[in-house]
Amino acid sequence: MKRLKYYLKLLLLFIRFSLMAQMEYRLNFVSSLLVEIGYLLVKLSYVAVIYSTGVTIGGMTPDQIVIFIGSYILMTGLYMFFIPSFYAISGNVREGRLDMLIVKPLSLQFIMTLQRFDFGMPIPNVTGGLILICMCWSRAGLTVSFTHIAGFILFTLTGVFLTYCMFLIPKLLSFWFVSTSGISQMTDALWDFNNMPMNLYSNWIQKLGTFIIPIFVITNFPGLCAMDRLTPGYAAWGLAVPFLAFALQRAVFKRAVRHYTSASS
Amino acid sequence: MNKYKCTFLLGLEESLEYRVNFALSLISTFFPIVIQTFLWTRIYNSPDAVIDNGYTYPQIILYSLLAGMVSKLVSTGFEYEVNLDIKEGGLNKYLIRPVSYLRYRLSAFLGKKVPAAGILCAAIAAAIIVAVTALSMSLTLSRVVLFAAALCLALLLNFIIFYCISMAGFWLTEIEKLYGTISIVLVVLSGGVFPLDIFGSLAARISVILPFSYTTQFPVNIVNGKLSMTEILTGMLVQAAWITALFILARILWNKGIRRYISAGG
Repeated sequence: MKRLKYYLKLLLLFIRFSLMAQMEYRLNFVSSLLVEIGYLLVKLSYVAVIYSTGVTIGGMTPDQIVIFIGSYILMTGLYMFFIPSFYAISGNVREGRLDMLIVKPLSLQFIMTLQRFDFGMPIPNVTGGLILICMCWSRAGLTVSFTHIAGFILFTLTGVFLTYCMFLIPKLLSFWFVSTSGISQMTDALWDFNNMPMNLYSNWIQKLGTFIIPIFVITNFPGLCAMDRLTPGYAAWGLAVPFLAFALQRAVFKRAVRHYTSASS
Repeated sequence: MNKYKCTFLLGLEESLEYRVNFALSLISTFFPIVIQTFLWTRIYNSPDAVIDNGYTYPQIILYSLLAGMVSKLVSTGFEYEVNLDIKEGGLNKYLIRPVSYLRYRLSAFLGKKVPAAGILCAAIAAAIIVAVTALSMSLTLSRVVLFAAALCLALLLNFIIFYCISMAGFWLTEIEKLYGTISIVLVVLSGGVFPLDIFGSLAARISVILPFSYTTQFPVNIVNGKLSMTEILTGMLVQAAWITALFILARILWNKGIRRYISAGG
């Protein structure tokens, strides 16, 4: 418990330092904020298509569909919050900067993956996502009860944890290969499949995205839970899969660190 | 002319250095295509969906298949280099040589484009063949030829749009920080995500007035059969007019900007 408190304190310190560092270069901060507003425009064009056609997907009305798009935008913002540490991994490994981190009396994974945070990119996404979710929640006439909201928040949080575990694995490949930008680009592109509710896709894509590469668990389950469409089996899977992904990610991490060669340091 | 041929070949060589990266970046173009194809198929098969956007199902599917690729084909990237040249005095080496900076940038841009254009054109051709066969669309040879011609004009138009934007570097040294935003907004305005005319008559009117839709939406709508022959020929004239106007604007901006150039660090 004491150790947990210590890590929590450190995490808050890292977040504070990241904010201070970003405030030094305010123009960079503004530019990353504006780029994300640009991407938000792309995501909102999907919302415009949904409303202009009034399409229903798997019995869901446009308002209900937009809750999924809102969750996707919100989750993108939350992922962007810790993405800078992920992008720093390959440079740290390649140039031997990990030496300084390994010798610290801390979990190596903690300091490697939760040290840098971005504040500019999440702002438009988190705000835009929350507005869409709240707006469509009331327009769709969904129940506003403690259990529904708690369920939505619970699956959003497990979604963030799952994102951390799932998207860390490809970044760890940099312990084996010099350049992993191509693989990162590919996995990041997979993220966009969450833009729409999974019912849109064929049955086998749904199964693949839920059980093999559980990308749909991240942004579909909060919305499904809010609409009482999550079966107990799926709910159990949604809660279990982040832990499975964590175990897998830890195993990969431990193997990966063994490949560290402290190059050029 | 020879010096620009050299620049073209150097650009070509440079782009061949990062082949794998380019090949993988194509995959990010592929995913939105899959998502949109599923989305439109669902919309057109949905009994309660209202479809009054002026596109038939085969037209919109072909649009989804091609828009991302055409958008990538005409995309630039040299604006960051122009900004660096202005900011760090790199322009000096062009000023003292008997070369035109605009022509230098154009030939380097075209040279760098060759490998990407080769792959993308093959992918575009494959997409057209698959769509035409699977959706039993009728496609005439004249449309294919006009599409290719409009693509060449679109490439030139997008080049000159971004060249004019990059001239802002003479006045705003940190403008490069906005390039990411500008290019993504322009992709939307050019119809690189969805055709703009599906968002109502106002969006359609704006897209006709501004030059951006002539870089993506216009060429794609030629090959999917959305535009009539008269509209195609008018559109190509508009493309040519915008290219001429923007080339003149680029010259004016260059002449005004170069007076502010202080050759910092050069």
